[in-house]
Amino acid sequence: MLGIYDEREIVPLEGTWKANVGDSVVGTVASAKGSVCIVDLSSFVRGLIVLRKYETAPEKGSIISAVIRDVENRRTAILEGSSELHGGILMKVKPSKVPRLIGKSNTMINQIADLTAVRIVVGMNGLVWISGENSARAVAAIERVCEEAHVPGLTMRIKEMLEKEKGIIGNDIEKGTI
Amino acid sequence: MKSNKPELIVNNKRLDGRNFDELRPLSIKAGVIDNASGSAYVEWGNNKIIAAVYGPKEAMPKHMMDPSKAIIKCRYAMSPFSNLSEHGRSGPSRRSTEISKVIKEVFENVVFLNEFPGSEIDIFVEVLQGDGGTRAAGITAASVAMASAGIPMRDLVYAVSVGRIDDKLALDLNMIEDNYSDSDMPIAVAPRDGEILLLQMDGGLSREQLSRGISMVLSAGKDISKKQIDALKENYDSISKKYES
Repeated sequence: MLGIYDEREIVPLEGTWKANVGDSVVGTVASAKGSVCIVDLSSFVRGLIVLRKYETAPEKGSIISAVIRDVENRRTAILEGSSELHGGILMKVKPSKVPRLIGKSNTMINQIADLTAVRIVVGMNGLVWISGENSARAVAAIERVCEEAHVPGLTMRIKEMLEKEKGIIGNDIEKGTI
Repeated sequence: MKSNKPELIVNNKRLDGRNFDELRPLSIKAGVIDNASGSAYVEWGNNKIIAAVYGPKEAMPKHMMDPSKAIIKCRYAMSPFSNLSEHGRSGPSRRSTEISKVIKEVFENVVFLNEFPGSEIDIFVEVLQGDGGTRAAGITAASVAMASAGIPMRDLVYAVSVGRIDDKLALDLNMIEDNYSDSDMPIAVAPRDGEILLLQMDGGLSREQLSRGISMVLSAGKDISKKQIDALKENYDSISKKYES
């Protein structure tokens, strides 16, 4: 495995996502028939939502976020607590970069969300949902995080980058028009 | 055949001026195809090869799926412009089917297939320009592509061929040597424990020549392994360097 050796453990630089119980994921609904709804997690693991009585299935193609309740045979993830994400865009990043993108106690992702004033939902499977008028800036920041994930001092660089951009159109943000 | 065999050894050197245990110049670049999970481009002498790895993804067709482990598929192909003569036709041939199969079997032995039950991993090896030893170069490239895809492997495989010209053993045969040599033997090795994952042979070698050939491969393999690892590091180092100063 390709990774950086860091204090007794290897931090992978590249890799595939393995479904773990408790992971929050983002995916698109691939099919919804009867009481079972299959979610495409853009991985070899597929998500499954078992609908309760009277619960309506989400529409095919809609984007949802959910938490993994159980993993069967490493291949099927039973999801719970699903909520539909309306509008917005879906972006794919390498699953190995997701921990860096979230940051220690969510610092990185909160910083990007705050400075660009967008809503971001990150799935451990590598799908990121972004909604808001500044989505393009958030996408650029996320892409940079993934590219430079292994270089120290990243949080500061992203902060600098976003604040610089904000400075150019800063007045509009303060007025609340963006 | 013997009658039109060209002189392959001149002044105790080979036709391209190499020593008998010398590799052709090798350069590897990882991550050349953005859409693939992992990829590599190899220039090995006049060989130019792109390898790409996709997956793990859901195994298709369904009946080939193995619920206990991943399956590996491999497609080796020579492009129509890769070579002067008979390999120039596009589409699968006897030869490319065989090479696809042996490459697949090499990787079935090093990838942790149990990690991805019910999935498939696709390897594509495309020869843009061929000059002898493409299956060895293809395995070397595919191995880097596999590592850059982050697929867990037991070892970073390399492959190189060794052959016999008259009574002398020569490493890494090129096209002319391959066509006219007395024996040609591509070998793929897992370098950590020296396990041999592929060994094919045309022509004949004596028992003593065989073991000498394998030790030639193992000692030259250190260079190849180093180049493979450097190629994988390079993409990350180049970004790190921007911020070092």
